[in-house]
Amino acid sequence: MITRRTLLKTAAAAAATAVIPAPVIGQSSKKITFLTWNIIDQKELIEGWIKRFQSTRPGVEVEWLDKKGPDFGPFYQTQLTAGTPPDVINTQGALGLEYAAQGALLDLTPLFAKEAAVKNRYDANYLGNWVYEGKNYMVPFYITKTLLFYNKPMFAKADLAGPPKNFDEILAFAQKMTSGEASSGFITLNFDWLYWPLFAMNGVELVTPDLKKTAFNTPKAAEVLDKLAKATQSNAINKISWTGRWVEPNGAFGAGNIGMLHAHSPAYFFFKGQGSWVTPDTLGVAHMPGNYATPNSHGLGISKGSKNPELAWEFLKFITDNGQAGELAERRKLVTGNVAVDQASLAKLAKDDPTVYQVLKTQLEHTDKMTGNWRFGNDSRIKEAFWPEVQSALLGRKDAKSALADADRRMARELTRA
Amino acid sequence: MTSSSGGWWATRRNRQLALVVCFLLPSLVIFFLYRLLPLGWNVILSFQAWSPLKPAVWIGLENYREMWVYDDVFWVALKNTLIFIAASPLAIAAALGVALLVNSDLKGATVYRTIVFLSYPLMAVAVGIIWRWMYDERGGIINYALRASGLTTRPIGFLQDFDWALPSVIFAEVWQIIGFYMIILLTGLQSIPQNLYEAARIDGAPAWARFLRITVPMLRPSLFLCVVVGILNSFSSFDLVYIMTNGGPGHATELLITHIYKAAFVQSKFDYAAALTVVQFGLLMILTVAANRAAGGNAGAVERD
Repeated sequence: MITRRTLLKTAAAAAATAVIPAPVIGQSSKKITFLTWNIIDQKELIEGWIKRFQSTRPGVEVEWLDKKGPDFGPFYQTQLTAGTPPDVINTQGALGLEYAAQGALLDLTPLFAKEAAVKNRYDANYLGNWVYEGKNYMVPFYITKTLLFYNKPMFAKADLAGPPKNFDEILAFAQKMTSGEASSGFITLNFDWLYWPLFAMNGVELVTPDLKKTAFNTPKAAEVLDKLAKATQSNAINKISWTGRWVEPNGAFGAGNIGMLHAHSPAYFFFKGQGSWVTPDTLGVAHMPGNYATPNSHGLGISKGSKNPELAWEFLKFITDNGQAGELAERRKLVTGNVAVDQASLAKLAKDDPTVYQVLKTQLEHTDKMTGNWRFGNDSRIKEAFWPEVQSALLGRKDAKSALADADRRMARELTRA
Repeated sequence: MTSSSGGWWATRRNRQLALVVCFLLPSLVIFFLYRLLPLGWNVILSFQAWSPLKPAVWIGLENYREMWVYDDVFWVALKNTLIFIAASPLAIAAALGVALLVNSDLKGATVYRTIVFLSYPLMAVAVGIIWRWMYDERGGIINYALRASGLTTRPIGFLQDFDWALPSVIFAEVWQIIGFYMIILLTGLQSIPQNLYEAARIDGAPAWARFLRITVPMLRPSLFLCVVVGILNSFSSFDLVYIMTNGGPGHATELLITHIYKAAFVQSKFDYAAALTVVQFGLLMILTVAANRAAGGNAGAVERD
């Protein structure tokens, strides 16, 4: 039986709950989730960030989830469908733009307008990679773009003085370093448009500037494709360029019998671990002819469905500020897109590790010549329409003209559907 | 107590029925929630334009028109899936050969049986990785053996070549499943009454006639099971293809299941992926019914004493 005293106590408790300031209640239950892309190896670092972030914000909880690349998309899509998307997400390449186009990400433009200092912390050209229809959806977490690595002993053996200066020199140099099956001259990564500088340096455009129509089905593009296919057939360009993804091309270059590797900066750490021949004296680092490079950076964005967008923004700013970004740069030997951090980091690396310095320096140079970074909202569909056809030509299955015509038809369909 | 006084519960048959329903209910609920409901929703989704953050819009047969008219990859994937299925009888025939061998008086038959079966419990991902390395153009043992024996002078890019890729993946698939087929067929062989063979021998029937007139007909239920498993396996060989080739080069090893996955989770075309799934399901039903017919029409039925 409920006594009068119990009733009064209950009523008093209910009244007290009602008058407790809302922020106190909110603070005690605030939780955000941070989803990263395959950086489980940085567990200690990220857990340290979270601990520091939580220590200055009582009652706040940050949950960290990490997914490998192939698992990331399915996981995020299912969370979106369930209405429980992770608050802060880290994506690679153009995936962030696709999510933005689907309406999954928060537009950061108004937040930048309020806090110009935050926007100014990032390299403008890299930041621009996540602008979709005039709005900025992500900020740099760590940044990469392609460059040319070359095997100096193989260059010397072929009597080549330095890196190639144009497309035809790439092929000619590659041919000179090729010896049957024993060695080949050139290899490239191919995923996420990373091979596109080979076309860009020949003046080939994929689409019209308004991104509405295809522009690549030209005699020049057919000529370039044909030359690449013939060089592949003669083994001057290693076939793995068009069939491998990450491990295979980098591993092949690490084996020491391929003259040049066109890849983004993280490739250095992979092939260095595989090839004992890689030393500061034997590895050359250069830009591709014309200084063209395709970015493949990691960005951070906030899900529009976040229950705590202000806290998510706080967290995003926290992990990209000089302290945390500096730690990341130092531990992983990378560039973060935070201009001040990268300058300091490179200055230190110039003394401590000259080769890494050479590699990372390229990532901050000629950022106005980045290519293959079209702001499509359906990049994966465009890639799926274009790449298999071009791959067929590169591997000799189709002639260049037919392959480009088929790619044109399929890609035009995707552009129309967009 | 009579049925009139006890109502529906009074008859023994009804009480047995209630008991059967009680036993079946958990499975039926799970079957409904995890099979029928998603399947029904999938069919509806195939007639809609939908993505996780946009409301569904009814578009009729548009996704099917896209598939039929514009999607070249669908036809390639369909053809590859049918080739995959067509390879099942070869695997079953090979398994039958092995089963006949280990069912004979062969010395060490138990050991051979274990060795052949060992590949089956392996994870498809592990099988994919193992075979990918074995097929490797630079350091793979198959290319090494081919070159060492003088059969080829240049390494073969088994998984990189448009012509070799699909047969290579199928071979790995057959290698893994053959142990399962063998066990099923072996069980079938051991359940054939020996007096049938004795009678045939007395009548002077040669070995091939005994095989065709006794073994094959008596093995029909086991063969049907193998065929159905083979069809299902062909439709769901996602892991192996994903690990070994990811559908490439080009779309040379693309199967319907990998095409569905890419449409949904790489290109975020969930609606279109639903339409592809409906087509795959329809095809699966047709093939399963056909296999059942071929097996006599009552395969899998429980015979009452």
